[in-house]
Amino acid sequence: MNTRPLMLLRVNVTTPQNIGTAPHGTRRIVPISGGVFEGPRLRGTVLAGGSADWLLLRSDNVLELDLRVTLQTHDGALISMRSFGLRHGPPDVIAAIGRGEPVEPATYYFRTTPRFQTAQSTYGFLNRLVAVATGDRRPEGPIYTIHELL
Amino acid sequence: MNSRELMLLRLNASQTQEVGATPYGMLSIFPVTGGSFEGERLRGKVLAGGGDWVARKADETLELDLRVTLETDDGALIYMTFTGLRDDAHHYFRTLPRFETASAKYAFLNRLLAVGIGEIRADGPVHIIEEIL
Repeated sequence: MNTRPLMLLRVNVTTPQNIGTAPHGTRRIVPISGGVFEGPRLRGTVLAGGSADWLLLRSDNVLELDLRVTLQTHDGALISMRSFGLRHGPPDVIAAIGRGEPVEPATYYFRTTPRFQTAQSTYGFLNRLVAVATGDRRPEGPIYTIHELL
Repeated sequence: MNSRELMLLRLNASQTQEVGATPYGMLSIFPVTGGSFEGERLRGKVLAGGGDWVARKADETLELDLRVTLETDDGALIYMTFTGLRDDAHHYFRTLPRFETASAKYAFLNRLLAVGIGEIRADGPVHIIEEIL
């Protein structure tokens, strides 16, 4: 798998909305209040509103992530990003994340697969790529290191 | 980013169903009639009954939406889906496979994300699928 860096995305999370036990698993929605992204080809901020991560804890203790964020570049373009992801690891590591403690990202699996949509031709290349990301769940919100899949 | 070989997937399709211009683009459905997959950790055949729902968007790229059932050589069934992007103008054909199985032996598939590199060969599409580590 060949990749090249696309951006580092930091999102800030607010109080989770705990939906509770649904037929597919335990559903939690984490609204995103903002954030920043920066890479060689684009940089800007994450918009609040419409940006959140819809989490589903499955019966096999794998957390499914369904992130949607709106990115605004420094020159005013809007980019819709969606990514599906999985997070799982040893119980003590996952429990530490749950308590809001900083955890070494190499000790658990946190990977996502972002896709992008934009109408701005400057950033049209984003419409034509598939990306992969590693996540680092910090107490203030996750940091995603996103790579273009070449 | 690091990855690890998962499987080589070959798909056989029957005659394309050209649905035509829908609100989401030009929709073509490729019924999957069979195929095979092979990797260090799993191998077997693709069952008939799945398909790839392919939409050609306004920028001439193709959005893929595939569902197939895999049957391993030891009898486990694995439901595989992928979404993907094919951009012939830039020779780019990449997919994001996901797996669901009830088999304990293959449960590792439930917990991984994967990427696929697609190629159109004379005898049908081939996908080189790697686990994202």
